Amino acid sequence: MKRSTPRWLRVAAVALAVGSLVVACSGRSTTGGTGGDGQVTLTINFWGDFGLQELKTRYEAEHSNVRIALNSGEYNAQHEDLQKKLIAGSGAPDIAAIDEGFMVQFRSQADQFVNLLDRGAGKYESNYLPWKWKQSLSADGRTQIALGTDVGGLAMCYRTDLFAAAGLPTDRDQVSALWPTWDDFLTVGQRYVAQTNRKFLDNATNLFNPILGQQPVGFYDSEERLLMAGGPKVAFDYAVKAADLGLSANLTSFQADWDKGFTNGSFAVLTCPAWMLGHIQNTAPGTEGKWDIAAVPGGGGNWGGSFLTVPKQGKNIDEAYKFLEWLIQPEQQIEVFKTVGNLPSQPGLYTDPAIADFKNEFFNSAPVGQIFPKMAEGLTPQYLGRKNGPTRVAVENVINRVQNGTLKSDAAWAEAIKEAEKASR
Amino acid sequence: MPTTRAAGEPALRRRGAAPDRSMTWRDRLHRFDVRYVPYLLIAPFFLLFLVFGLFPMVFNAVVALRHWRLDQPDLTGWAGTENFRRLFTDGDFGNALYNTFGIFLLSTIPQLLLALVVASMLNRRLRGQTWWRVSALLPYITPITASTLVFNVFFARDLGMANWALGLVGIGTENPIDWRADKLHSWIAIATMVNWKWVGYHALLFLAAMQSIPRDVYEASALDGAGPWRQLWRITVPMIRPVLIFSVVLSTIGGLQLFTEPMLFDLNAQAATGGSGGEWQTVAQLIYRVGWKDLNLGYAAAMSWALFLIILVVAALNTALTNRMSGGRR
Repeated sequence: MKRSTPRWLRVAAVALAVGSLVVACSGRSTTGGTGGDGQVTLTINFWGDFGLQELKTRYEAEHSNVRIALNSGEYNAQHEDLQKKLIAGSGAPDIAAIDEGFMVQFRSQADQFVNLLDRGAGKYESNYLPWKWKQSLSADGRTQIALGTDVGGLAMCYRTDLFAAAGLPTDRDQVSALWPTWDDFLTVGQRYVAQTNRKFLDNATNLFNPILGQQPVGFYDSEERLLMAGGPKVAFDYAVKAADLGLSANLTSFQADWDKGFTNGSFAVLTCPAWMLGHIQNTAPGTEGKWDIAAVPGGGGNWGGSFLTVPKQGKNIDEAYKFLEWLIQPEQQIEVFKTVGNLPSQPGLYTDPAIADFKNEFFNSAPVGQIFPKMAEGLTPQYLGRKNGPTRVAVENVINRVQNGTLKSDAAWAEAIKEAEKASR
Repeated sequence: MPTTRAAGEPALRRRGAAPDRSMTWRDRLHRFDVRYVPYLLIAPFFLLFLVFGLFPMVFNAVVALRHWRLDQPDLTGWAGTENFRRLFTDGDFGNALYNTFGIFLLSTIPQLLLALVVASMLNRRLRGQTWWRVSALLPYITPITASTLVFNVFFARDLGMANWALGLVGIGTENPIDWRADKLHSWIAIATMVNWKWVGYHALLFLAAMQSIPRDVYEASALDGAGPWRQLWRITVPMIRPVLIFSVVLSTIGGLQLFTEPMLFDLNAQAATGGSGGEWQTVAQLIYRVGWKDLNLGYAAAMSWALFLIILVVAALNTALTNRMSGGRR
C-alpha cells in the first residue's frame, strides 16, 4: 500500500500539470467550416438590420446543405473587428458587411478579399449606380472587393401627431415646404420648442452627419488630407447652433433612451436615410401611422449605404459567393426594401412597380418608392477617407460635449479640429 | 574507546551522500515521497504561472520596448524607451491617471470605512446572524457586468432612479443630473458601483479577524468606560491590522485596475472612450483603447507596465500608511 500511494499521486500530479497545459494550449476551435456530411455554415457579420432574417430561411430551404449564421453587432465594432481579423490572418466571417464610411480603409487592403471580378461579378457592373460600383473598386480598377447592398439617400422623418399638437402642418408636401434650407429647419425647430416645451431633434450629431453628407468634400479630400475648414465646418456650425438653441434631446443614437424616444415623443423629427425606416419600425411598432416622411433641407445627399465582401481567409468562399450573388438579385433586393426599407443600389429596380409604387403603411403610406430613389440617382457622392470612421466618432463626441454642457460652444470648433487631427493620425 | 568508535561508524555512514546498500526499495520510495513529491504537487500551479503569468509579463515588457502597430505592420522595430517617454507628455494618459485616482479615492476610503462599521455590527449578537452575514456577501457574488447594467439604468439621465430619488429631496428637479456629462458625477456613479460590490466582501474579511479578538479585552475596556466607537478605533482596528493591510492592498490593486464598470457605464461601450470627453476613462480602459482600437500594441504595453509600477508604489505607500494609522510599529 505504501508503495502504490505515492506512485499514483505522482502520476496524477504530472498528468494534471501536463493535462492543464495541453488543454490551455489547444485553443483551436472546431466550429464553422465544412462538417463531415457536406454541411456548410456561412457566417455573416453586419450591424443593425440588413433584412436577412427571412431571406436566410428561404435560402436554407432552397439549399439543404447550407446553414447561415447571422451575426449582428455594433456598427463601429464590426468594422474594427474585421480589421483585426484581417491583420491576425484568421477568424473573419465568410461574408463581412462594410459601410461606405469604412470602404476606403478596406479597399486599400484589396489583397485580403476575394476579387469578385474573378468570380464573374463584372456582369453586374451595369446594374449598379456607377458611383456605388466604384466605391469598392480598387484604384487600378482590377479588383472589386464588394457588391453593394443599399444606398442611404436622405429624407426627414417626422411625427405628424406631435407636429399637429405644435400647430405645424402635417401634410408631407407642406412640411417639406417649411424647410427649403437648414436655417429654415432650425427656425421651425425653435417654433416647435416654443409651442410645446419639448425637444425637436433626437441629437445634434444626427444633424451633423446628413449636412456633412451634402457637402461636396467631407472630412478628407481624395489625397487623404484632413480638410476641417470646408464641409465639416458648415455641418458642425449647424449642429452646435441646434444644441445652443435647445432643440436637441441629446439622446445617443442606437442606445436605449434613443429607442424609447421613438415611442414617447422625446423628439419630433429625425433625419432618415432609407435604412433608418427599418429601425423605427422595429423599435417603435406602436407608433404606426404617426410617422411621415418629408424632404430633407438643402436638397439631396447621402448618408450610409453598405457593401458585402468575401474575405479571403473565409473557409467557404465558393458557397459565400453563391449566396452573395443570390442576395443581389432583384427579387431579394426588392424584398429587403419592402421589409426594412433599405434602398437597393441598382437603379434599374427603381422603375420596377414593386418599388416605384410601394407605399410604406407604417409611415402614413408615404411613397417611399418615389422619395428615396430620386435622392439616390441625382447624387455625386463624397470621397470618404481612410480614417473617416474614427474621425467622425471624434467630432461627434465634441458635439456631444457641447450638448451636455461641458464644452462651451465657442470653444467647440477648436476642440473639434484638435480631436479630428488626433483621430486622423 | 573502542565502544564509542563502534557506535560512531553507522552514524557517519548514514550521513553520507552515497545510497546505503542496506536501504530497501521501500526506504527509497519513502525518501522520494518526503523529498520530491511536494514539489510535484505544487508544480502545476507554477507551470501555469510560468505560462500564463510570468511569460506574458516578460513578453509585455519586450513589446513595450518595440514599435508595434497592427495597422502598420512594417513598423515592427526597436523603440527603446520611446513608448515610455511618450507617456509623460500624453494628455490622454494623464487624464486617465487622474480619473483612476479620483474614482479610487471615492471608492476605497468609504468602502473600507463602511466595511469596518458593517463588520463591527455583524460581530455583535444579532437575530438571524447568518442571514445578515450572507446578505452582506451577495453583491460580491453578482457578476459585475450584470450589476453594472442595472446601475446603468439606475443612473440614466431622464428616467433613472437615482435622479428620481434625488428629486424627492428637491435636487435636480428642474435640470436632472446628467451622470455621464462631467467628471464628478460620473466618478460618483462608478464609485457607487464599486462600493456596492466590495463593502460586504471586506466586511466579512474584517469580521473573520474580529472573531479572534478575545471578548475580555472589550469587557475590560468597557469597565474603563470606553464606548463602542472608541472600542472600534482603539481595540478592534489595531487588533485586525494584518487583515486591514491585506484589504488595503487588495483594493488598491483592484481600484487602480478598474475596467469593467467604467467600460460598461459608457452608453456606447465599444468606444472605450469613457464619456464623450474621456470624463471617466481609466488607465485600464485607455490601455484597451490604445491596444485594440488604435492598434498600437507597443504603446499599450508600455502603459500597462507603467500601471504595474504605479500600483506597486501606491500599494506600498498605502500599506505603510495603514500600518501607521492602526498603531503598528514603523
